Amino acid sequence: MGESDYSFSLTTFSPSGRLVQIEYALNAVTAGATALGIKAKNGIVLATEKRLPSALMAEDSVQKVSMITESIGLVYAGMGPDSRVLVKKARKAAQAYARIYKEVIPVGQLVREVASVMQEFTQSGGVRPFGVSLLVAGFDDEGPQLCQIDPSGSYYAWKASAIGKNMVNAKTFLEKRYSDDIELEDAIHTAILTLKEGFEGQVTESNIEIGIIGEDKVFRTLTPADTKDYLTELE
Amino acid sequence: MTSSGNAPGGFSFDNVIRNSMLQQKGYAPPTARKTGTTIAGVVFSGGVVLGADTRATSGPTVFEKNCQKIHYIADSIMCCGAGTAADTDATTQLISSQLALHSLATRRAPRVATALNMLKQMLFRYQGHISAALVLGGVDFHGPHLYTVYPHGSTDRLPYVTMGSGSLAAMAVFESKYKEDMTADEAKQLVYEGISAGIFNDLGSGGNVDLCIITKEGKELIRGYAKENERKYRRPAGYIFPHGATPVIAGSEQFKGPEKGFSVVAEVAPAQDTMDVSA
Amino acid sequence: MSILEYNGGCVIAMAGKDCVAIASDHRLGVQLTTVAMDATRIFPMHDKLYLGLTGLMTDITTLDQLFRFRLEMYEMRENRKIKPKTFSNLVSSTLYGKRFGPYFSEPVIAGLDKDNKPFLCSMDLLGCIAEADDFAVAGTCAESLLGTCETFYRPNLEPEDLFETVSQSLLAALDRDCISGWGAVVHIITKDGVTTRELDGRMD
Repeated sequence: MGESDYSFSLTTFSPSGRLVQIEYALNAVTAGATALGIKAKNGIVLATEKRLPSALMAEDSVQKVSMITESIGLVYAGMGPDSRVLVKKARKAAQAYARIYKEVIPVGQLVREVASVMQEFTQSGGVRPFGVSLLVAGFDDEGPQLCQIDPSGSYYAWKASAIGKNMVNAKTFLEKRYSDDIELEDAIHTAILTLKEGFEGQVTESNIEIGIIGEDKVFRTLTPADTKDYLTELE
Repeated sequence: MTSSGNAPGGFSFDNVIRNSMLQQKGYAPPTARKTGTTIAGVVFSGGVVLGADTRATSGPTVFEKNCQKIHYIADSIMCCGAGTAADTDATTQLISSQLALHSLATRRAPRVATALNMLKQMLFRYQGHISAALVLGGVDFHGPHLYTVYPHGSTDRLPYVTMGSGSLAAMAVFESKYKEDMTADEAKQLVYEGISAGIFNDLGSGGNVDLCIITKEGKELIRGYAKENERKYRRPAGYIFPHGATPVIAGSEQFKGPEKGFSVVAEVAPAQDTMDVSA
Repeated sequence: MSILEYNGGCVIAMAGKDCVAIASDHRLGVQLTTVAMDATRIFPMHDKLYLGLTGLMTDITTLDQLFRFRLEMYEMRENRKIKPKTFSNLVSSTLYGKRFGPYFSEPVIAGLDKDNKPFLCSMDLLGCIAEADDFAVAGTCAESLLGTCETFYRPNLEPEDLFETVSQSLLAALDRDCISGWGAVVHIITKDGVTTRELDGRMD
């Protein structure tokens, strides 16, 4: 990258010191479907809306929650194709770590690796920033961890967070609902209730997606049947 | 260098010129640890049984009496390795890692044939210089599979296979006793007998018999399925050396303890021939 | 003569009860000529992890520097001490990276994990790990050391007993190796710290 004289970075400072390309990337995130994550005492839940532009599209062909290692998963808000690039890089980074240390990459290290890729795309020539924010959930020696990474490459650990279209309302809702000793099962319910808040129309097992990781340290995406059970419990 | 600060992937040939210079000057290149090895596998009605001995040698010396030669590839795929121990370890780990990425990307459980192709393509690329002779077995969507992979990258697909220096002994057993559609127990017994033949008739093989049974339901790795070469006698009391038996020299402060920041509990040696450490 | 025997020297590690010992001789030779009696082959990586390196001294020095670099990068990046097992995997993958132009050194790693349980392993020069729960040896008298350890080793030794057993195992083997010896050093790693002692060995 940057070999050509014309491949200068598109992300340049405005006179007031802002990087407007990054702000535009954040706009792309805010336009995306809401995604959220809640850290429970004994695990983490990730959840997202999965609303498709047309009723004719096959719902089961779209997956928005991705597994990175057996004990780490992530969900995105923003541009789907951009997220796939990051998922691929995250999986590779995780395997590269495992090949050296024969050990699963700690959540913090994976987040740092992915965030540094996103940062690189705000400063390199011929590229644009990623139009996604990520919520990364993992369970390692330090316990359950939830991290959010933004297009700028900044990352923070959260107890609960939301990204995408309805993030402001969702965060307010989560602030009211969250307690430090919440159990995973309750967190799943809270996650669904939060999604329901700003949802246009009826929440069904096919228009939301949920990923969980519990004390077994195995990340999995809930099947539509599992999701349906949780929805029924809430009725 | 990646941001994780470690070496990039692939081999480094930095030392090759120096090493060949040393070789020209008459310093023989050292030998790596080998697994003189008997490994084998059998397909039965519902899955595969893999088996291996547990001896690792360096020249004529037994360097490890209970090493694990059945390597993990995926949840329902395992791989026995013979040849240079470092090569079989590293090769199976690398393929396991690539297969994990492949399986995440395709969202499908890995197939044995995929692992086979990754292995043979890698080994062929290195033209036999990676000395890994493998028995690859597992169960996938299409049922049970069993293959051998040679160091140059050629492969066989057979209902019963053996590899390593003890392969002849094990194959003799398989040729006389193998039959189609065995039960899991019959297959375990057959593989045990094959590996055992290697252990007792091939000097490069020895130690215990390890077995791994893979079926559609799951996988069971049995370390020490048979332990027929345990040490017969060990002095019950052991050798007990009185405290202070070993002479510790004086004036060795210069070697005292590691550097900076590490606590040294006991100081080195008073100025005597022997040290009283009974207190 | 193998290049691994050019400088002579050996390392032994042995597990005790919540403690582990690692010891080596002090000779540095050029084939049969002794040129130094204060050679160091054992390097502290952190207060519960020691690395012993046998083989060609130039590679021992290079590897010590390389592993210290990798270790300090790890500790700064991850803000934690490396586990002995993780470190041994780092050593292994580093050595295997030079599969076709190896460093001429066989490492021995000894340390205590976070529950203060002993960890020890040896490796060949390509990085093939042989993990042990009793003892691990490498160097020019590795065969002799295996013999003495097989006889003298007892499980669950207390630190002082472990010191005597590992020292006697080492000294007995050194006496049958003309390119190792000239004194020895023993480190006993316990949860409270490390005890280091210089042994009075033969000087011939």
